[in-house]
Order: sequence, then C-alpha cells, then structure tokens
Amino acid sequence: MNSQNKQSKHWQDWELHRAVTPKNLIIIFIVFILLSFSAHNTELDTAAVETSKAVLSVVGIGESQVLDGALRFVSQAFPLQISERTPVNRLDNFDHSNLPLFSYIEKGEEKEYDALTETWTTETTEYLVQPIGYLKKVAIKMWETVEMGFWGTVICIMISLPLGILASQNYTPHRFVYSFTRTWLSFHRAMPELIVALILVLMYGFGPIAGVLALAIHTSGVLGKFFADEIENAPPGPQLALSSSGASAFKVLRYAVFPHVYPAWIAYVQYIFERNIRTATVLGIVGAGGIGMELKGRWDVFDYDHVATILLAIFITVILLEVGSQKLRKNAL
Amino acid sequence: MLKFESVSRVYEDGTKAVSNVSLHIKAGEFCVLLGPSGAGKSTLMNMVNGVVEPSSGSIKLGDLVLNKRNKSTIQRRIGMIHQQLHLVPRLSVLHNVLAGLLPNVGLFRSLIKSFSFEDQRRACQLLSEVGMEEKHLLRRASDLSGGQQQRVAIARAFIPNPEVVLADEPVASLDPAMSRSVLQSLKTAAQQHGATVICTLHQLDYALEFADRIIALRQGEIFFDGHPSKLDEVTQNELYALTEHLPVKLEQVAA
Repeated sequence: MNSQNKQSKHWQDWELHRAVTPKNLIIIFIVFILLSFSAHNTELDTAAVETSKAVLSVVGIGESQVLDGALRFVSQAFPLQISERTPVNRLDNFDHSNLPLFSYIEKGEEKEYDALTETWTTETTEYLVQPIGYLKKVAIKMWETVEMGFWGTVICIMISLPLGILASQNYTPHRFVYSFTRTWLSFHRAMPELIVALILVLMYGFGPIAGVLALAIHTSGVLGKFFADEIENAPPGPQLALSSSGASAFKVLRYAVFPHVYPAWIAYVQYIFERNIRTATVLGIVGAGGIGMELKGRWDVFDYDHVATILLAIFITVILLEVGSQKLRKNAL
Repeated sequence: MLKFESVSRVYEDGTKAVSNVSLHIKAGEFCVLLGPSGAGKSTLMNMVNGVVEPSSGSIKLGDLVLNKRNKSTIQRRIGMIHQQLHLVPRLSVLHNVLAGLLPNVGLFRSLIKSFSFEDQRRACQLLSEVGMEEKHLLRRASDLSGGQQQRVAIARAFIPNPEVVLADEPVASLDPAMSRSVLQSLKTAAQQHGATVICTLHQLDYALEFADRIIALRQGEIFFDGHPSKLDEVTQNELYALTEHLPVKLEQVAA
C-alpha cells in the first residue's frame, strides 16, 4: 500500500481542468482573424452597413439602397397579376362569336401624335381579356414543374436502386464493383443540377426533359448513397437466418433487408421528391422547363406583378406538398 | 443420419472451440446439447449448418459429406432456430414462416411475395401446430411476445420439411412455463414431421424432461452421451454445477 502511495501524487497536487488557457485564447484569436477576412470577402460587412441603413431609413433617417430595391419590387408586385390581356390581332384564327369561357373583349384606344403632319391619330385595338388567364397559365406551368419533380424522382429511384445495392458492402458482387459504383454515385452527387441542366439543354433543347434528367442525375447520387448505407446498416441476424436456410442473396435482400430499410427509404424518397420540386422551380432559369422559365422571362422585363403571382404559386405548392407528404408518411409507417 | 467424425474446430485466435468430437445421431432423435457458455455447443451446430467450417474431421448428413460445394444442398435439408430468433421484425408472421421456403420459390414470385395457397396452408398448419392462432397471422413479428416469436421461428424452421432441425438455445430468454410449452411445441412438431432435432440448452431440468439423448460438452469435449435415464448422480451433479448453479459459483469465487 505504501509503495503505491509513493508512486501516485497526493490528491492536492493533481492536475485540474482549466477552461481558459493561453493556448485556447490564441486559437480563438487566430480563428477570429481568419473568419473576419472571409467575412469581408463575402461582403458581410457591407451587408451589415446596408441593413442598418435600411432600418434607419424606415424611421426616416437617410436613404437606403436596400429599401429602395425592396420597395421597387413590392410597389409593382401588388396587385398580383391574375388576368391575361392579349391584343386580338395577335391571336391566330380568332373567332368573335366563340370566346373562351368567362372572357370578354375590351377596346383600348391609343392616341398617337404624328409630328410631321402635326395630327393626332386614334387607333382602336381590341383586347381579349381572360379574368383568370394568367393564374391558369401559372397553374399549368406549376403543374408541369411538379411533374418534372415527380419524373425526376422516378428516374432517380430507377438509377439509384440498382446502384445502391451494388454499392453496399454486403451485397456487392465484387470489391471492384463496390468502389466503382461508390465513385460513380459521388460523381452524380458532385454535379449540381443547374450545371447539368445547362449541358442537357444544349443536348435536348429547351424544355422539361433536360430538367427531369438533370434532377435525376444529381439526386440519384444522393439517394443511391442513402440506399447503400441503409442496406449496410440492416441487422445481420435475420439475413444470416435466411441465408443459412439456403436462400439466395437476392431473396435475403428482399425478405430480410428490404422490410427493414423500407421506412427509411420512403422517408429519403419523399425528401428527394420535395427537394426535386423546389429545385425544378429554378431549373427553368437555364431553359430546362417548368415555372422557372416564365419567372425568368417576367423578371427580365420587370413584370413584378407577374413575378409575384408565380412566387405565390410556388409558395403554396411547396406548403401543400409538405403537408401532403407528412400525411402520406404517417400512413406508410 | 448425422455423423461427426473426429471433428475439431480451432478459431483464428487460437481458441479450441470443439476438439475431436465423434457422434452418430440417429434419425428422429431429440438430442440436447448441454454445457456451460463457451463449451462449443454453438460451434458444433454452426458446423452442421455450414456457417462454420471444421478445422479437421468431417460431418456427414446421410451419405453427403458436408463441404463447400454442397453447402446449399445441405442447408436446404436443415432447419435452424436461432438464439436471438432472427425473425424479420417488420414482416408479417405468415411471411416470416414462408421465408423458410425461399430457396424453393422462383425469383419473380419471391419478389412480389406471391406464395402458392398450398405453401400458405402449410404455414398455417405449422403455426397452429405450435399454438398460434389466426389473428396472429398478419401481425408483424415485432408485435409478438417472446414466446410467440419463438413459436414462429419453430414454424419457419419446419416449413421446408427438413431432415434435421438445429435449435440454438431456443428458450434462453423465456420464463420457465413458457420454456416448457415452447419445448413441447418443438418436440411435437419434430415427432409429427419425423425430423431429427439437435437443441442446445443450459437448463438440465428441461433436458431431462424432453431429451431422447443428452450430449454434454465441456471445453469442446464430450463428457456424457446417452439417454437421460443413464445419467448417474455424479455426472448429474457435475452438470448442475456447470450449468444452472454457475452464478452461485461465481458468487462464491467473489466471496
């Protein structure tokens, strides 16, 4: 006993824990310096200044560029554009006696001053007004966007399911196949949708198919990895029980692994689906179909009231989807 | 029926799990392997099943010598009941039982879970034989009690009409009354289907009650083999000491 006491220190001399040490302080200081450089690079300092200016100008002190920008959008965004007004002479095969439902003809007069003859000429144009025409157009485009997200997800599952199985350590046919599919999946993940869509628009032309494929390619990288990881983490007991009764690997996968990973897979697929629809709304900006094309077109000609309608449509769709998928998920589990 | 010829197994870390075991198990016997933890019971069983390969010696099922080539043929003739049951928790009781038939079902049929009515009837028959009712048929295996899960595992082991059924500690996690009734189900099922059963236990009482033959192991070697009635008092006490009174002994050591 005595020899042990001699070897170990008396409890009063034990090294205690110190929360604040010079080393910690130096590290914090260096990290702070580095972060401040990075923040300056990303204009966080300007953002702080501009935002404070905006807050001050709300209470009437000075002027703010931020507030001006916001006001420029908001002042033109309301009221939302719901109707559509088209000059009749721009429509092919227009039939006055057979107007579309709920629509009417409006006559507009435009006065023009001819400086040479110094006379005013009045030109009467007929407009076809459809009261909810634009809303309808946005709804159709939005539905196209949802369809893009849906088919993007379907193709994504079709790619990632076989790849996921090949990329799971316990069901891959060969170590080489495993590393090959894992690399392939990370390659898919590493290509952002917008960039893939740009290239696909070159290949397939403007339209939703480029968007669908772009979504499928990027998200299959994510989903395939999830699938593979879930298969790897499935409990080994039931798999051993079935394989030791002579069942083939495929059947073991179907009966011992699939029932276990199914709920997690459903959750992942749902997340990917929601994400795909959100992403599909912006893919149109590069011409890959969906509501983004309309959004970009209207934004470029400063039709902010139209833009506001589109934004509202996107907002409502995303909310509806989230509510819907939560209900669906409760039923699936 | 099942022959072990001087079988040994040494694991990679040098532990001798089973050394020089020779056994001849006749068809239709209800054998109980007894012994403390680490005596080599599970290793012996896993060798029959092809999960573990013997380091030396050979195992014969009928005329077939067990080797890598005919492993799957032999596995189809053997039913297995595992210690941790290994049912698929999210699968229904019916499909858990039918999963025992997977080697005989076509690939596409197995993919869409389409089993013939004949197979399903057989599953129902087995389930009722081990004391399950119709209301349990479509419940998930995870919703059942431990005893019920063990019964489902027994039904799954018997459904492919195996010649040999291996049961690895089938009653390890059950209370005594439930253990007796599960073992009774196992024995009845074995008698009805004419299957040989090799069952590991660590309670001597159950072995005395149900076994046709007791094989006791100690440190990988057989030290008793025969009908329970042949068990003399000395061996019996030794077995008690090795199995049921192990915790008491540990306490004595600690004291």
